[in-house]
Amino acid sequence: MSSLDGEIVPAEIHEGMTLPSVAKHITQEGINLYAEASGDFNPIHIDESFAAQTPLGGTIAHGMLILAYLSEMMTLAFGKSWLANGRLAARFKAPARPGDTVTVTGNINSIEDKDGISHIRCSLECRNQKDETIVVGDAMVNVSS
Amino acid sequence: MTDKNNKRAAISYEDLVPGYEFPPVSYELDASTVSGYLKAVDSPGEIEVLGGFVPPLAIAAYAMAAMGGLLSLPPGAIHASQEFEFFKLVPIGTVIHCQTKVARKLARAKMHMLVLELNIFDQNKKEVQSGKATIILPA
Repeated sequence: MSSLDGEIVPAEIHEGMTLPSVAKHITQEGINLYAEASGDFNPIHIDESFAAQTPLGGTIAHGMLILAYLSEMMTLAFGKSWLANGRLAARFKAPARPGDTVTVTGNINSIEDKDGISHIRCSLECRNQKDETIVVGDAMVNVSS
Repeated sequence: MTDKNNKRAAISYEDLVPGYEFPPVSYELDASTVSGYLKAVDSPGEIEVLGGFVPPLAIAAYAMAAMGGLLSLPPGAIHASQEFEFFKLVPIGTVIHCQTKVARKLARAKMHMLVLELNIFDQNKKEVQSGKATIILPA
């Protein structure tokens, strides 16, 4: 259940709720664009001949690019509350590669209401088109009730 | 990103010890930087929700990129895990100051690991974000 601008309406938040997912297609051009924008030119991301000789066997997307997708989902769900007081802990389980389509999903695991604030804990996951887990994470955000 | 004179000699991984504090780095998150970031992360839907504030992952990404100029890591270093905590809204145009220290450094037979702690402040010295990055390096 969402409001018109995509944010979840606080009154409708409940445990077990699924957050609106975010899907992205990974391309080498997109990885290169992120390298330019962020200034992270690690060759594992942008140098295909170098990356081919590593155990990873090819270029991979920046971890921070994938985390940006997790954060995008949280921003779209919780708006400025996420920007102002979000917490994220994420572990990278497998690389995202050019050609992959990754989908970020999330669920509200628990809600603690205290003094007019809902303390919301979510589990997040990013998977590729083969259903392999790319990132797992936990997020917390406080929302005015 | 407008770099605020962060040109310094990079320290190598071998020379790092737990507790080492990197020289602070500063940068401005101007409108073109934020716009370029949102384009790079293919996130046009976020712009309306952000309403003039900087996406928190952009703050972190630029902090780590600025840090990258101070740290010489071997090619092939990869991110293993990441933690963030955001403390306040950061308007576009904010000048960011980032302090980073080495929290842990581990060396095993086939793998080296580095844990960095970041504390990020605005121009009013208010903390806007903290983070912890775990990086795995080829041995």
